[in-house]
Amino acid sequence: MGKSWLRGYITKRLIYAVIIAWGILTVTFILVRVGPTSPADRYLANIAAGGHDVTQAVAAIEARYGVDKPILVQYADYMGNLFQGNWGWSFSTSMPVTELIKTHWIYSFQLILLSSLFAAFLGILIGIYSAVKQYTKADYTFTFFSFVGISIPNFWLGIMLILIFSVKLGLFKTYYDTTLPLFSIDNLKALVLPVITLGTGMLAGYVRYTRSAMLDNLRKAFVTTARAKGLPERTVIGKHVFRNALLPLITIIMFDLGSIVFGGAYLTEIIFGIPGLGQVSFNAIFANDYPVVIAVTLIGTFIVLLVNLITDITYTYLDPRIRYD
Amino acid sequence: MDNVSLKVSNLRTHFLTRRGIVKAVDGVDFELRRGECLCLVGESGCGKTVTALSILRLFDSPPGKIVGGQISYDGLDLAKCSLRQLRQIRGKDIAIVFQEAQSALNPVLTIGDQIIEQIKLHLPLDYSMARDRTISLLSEMGIPSAKRVLSYYPHQLSGGMKQRVLIAMSLSCDPQILIADEPTTAVDVTIKAQILDIFHELKASRQLSTIFITHDLAVVAEIGDRAVIMYGGKDVETAPVSEIINNPKHPYTSGLIECLPDVSKTADRLASIPGTTPNPIEMPKGCAFHPRCPKAMKICKQQEPPEIITSKEHKVSCHLYT
Repeated sequence: MGKSWLRGYITKRLIYAVIIAWGILTVTFILVRVGPTSPADRYLANIAAGGHDVTQAVAAIEARYGVDKPILVQYADYMGNLFQGNWGWSFSTSMPVTELIKTHWIYSFQLILLSSLFAAFLGILIGIYSAVKQYTKADYTFTFFSFVGISIPNFWLGIMLILIFSVKLGLFKTYYDTTLPLFSIDNLKALVLPVITLGTGMLAGYVRYTRSAMLDNLRKAFVTTARAKGLPERTVIGKHVFRNALLPLITIIMFDLGSIVFGGAYLTEIIFGIPGLGQVSFNAIFANDYPVVIAVTLIGTFIVLLVNLITDITYTYLDPRIRYD
Repeated sequence: MDNVSLKVSNLRTHFLTRRGIVKAVDGVDFELRRGECLCLVGESGCGKTVTALSILRLFDSPPGKIVGGQISYDGLDLAKCSLRQLRQIRGKDIAIVFQEAQSALNPVLTIGDQIIEQIKLHLPLDYSMARDRTISLLSEMGIPSAKRVLSYYPHQLSGGMKQRVLIAMSLSCDPQILIADEPTTAVDVTIKAQILDIFHELKASRQLSTIFITHDLAVVAEIGDRAVIMYGGKDVETAPVSEIINNPKHPYTSGLIECLPDVSKTADRLASIPGTTPNPIEMPKGCAFHPRCPKAMKICKQQEPPEIITSKEHKVSCHLYT
């Protein structure tokens, strides 16, 4: 089956993505500047201690960073630079924003990738098992624990895991060593607790969604047809039922991927001291490092938009009945 | 016995539900002879579909369970054999065509995939041989451009085409027995005629023993050799189709035949059997049909009627003939 219409659809969606990203960029740009804070704030103590004139010093700092100009001028400058691939200068770390992101994105990516794989793989397996064994003790047990998992806030879980497994039992170190290779044994060990912290909520959700999506299809007539063919139960469940349950699951998994980029990964990085974009953005907010805040927000936006687009395209392959015209 | 392909004796399939035990099939006897088309006839809820599903143990379990009886096929009791043994028979020796082709096909797999899968499971053929076999089966079923249909998904085909695909699928491994569960119910009249033609042709071209489940006596008259009339989970009358139509013994069978509209007469209302099918959780005592039976006697309320052989090929369960 040709999917020639897909090309035009993707182009259209990409144009929308650019417009949405521009909108979010503009809103973020204004929001960070209308507050009563200034990038000079963190120097105030030093300025006062050094006996300098605060007003003059602040004005000098603001002039240096260019935040003293009218907001529209700042906006025009920023956009002009952005089109040339220049994301601005990070005030607090004294390096180009692109440089900063280049150094740190991989740690976020690693954490998110491992957590998502952990949650999706285990969650789907348990969910299928729960659905096939509906109303058995195993199903009730998994259901109970998945509700617990969904209800636990992940910052709390992270702190508890550190307390129990690192502080009390000393099983895992809690710091990430950037001088070692990404996938070195030490760093992977350091990621065990963060992955559990970030993954547990998702995993618990996937158990529930997989279970219900499987149950929706388990009693359908085509499942009886599959059994009537003489297929082993493994094929009936794994191929005929699961292929039909996959569509809602992909939606949820992709949606989660978008939301953890902004939410869970952020907090988890801070709790476990992982030097990813969450950490960078957290520091930038407290330092009023506007260009970094905007850049990280923009990257998140693009990821969410891209993931949504990929999801919609995946649908057409998973369910041949779907067309976007 | 050589002439008999499948023998069902005193089959009882019950469903354990929260409201009680549903005795969907409660003592059914029949034999399917080689090459014949045996019709299972009855109203909705009489147990005919569960009987068919029981043969391959395809009902949901739990809650369903075969609680008694035998299903003899090829020296094996399908009611008791292991699931592993049964899987080798499903789709290979005994195939089933379901009533709603729309929902009986998997919406996310191609037609080719769904048929080839079954062939490769049971026959020692490689992919391209299985594919060729599928194409010729589809053409045999009167599906135009069968080769292209292989890559189609079910939603791209009409209802009649889907029903043909299902029949092709069921025949894909040359089964000995074909069970057709109301294959003409969910399609319109013209398609129904075409599907029946396919069954006629199959009967002529293959030595196939068919169990045809229907509530439509007109279909029975057209396609059946013998018929088993079912009521309340039991077989109440078994006879050759001509006997059933011209010389019905059981008051229920007579009732069914009277319900057939007669085009030579004008009538304001069509005839019907008063009442509804009994609640399968609380079957009436005695003969299950007695509350609706115009000829009910005192004994009908107390005792289950015995099976009476009225002639060599005709048996009926009714107190009228004791």
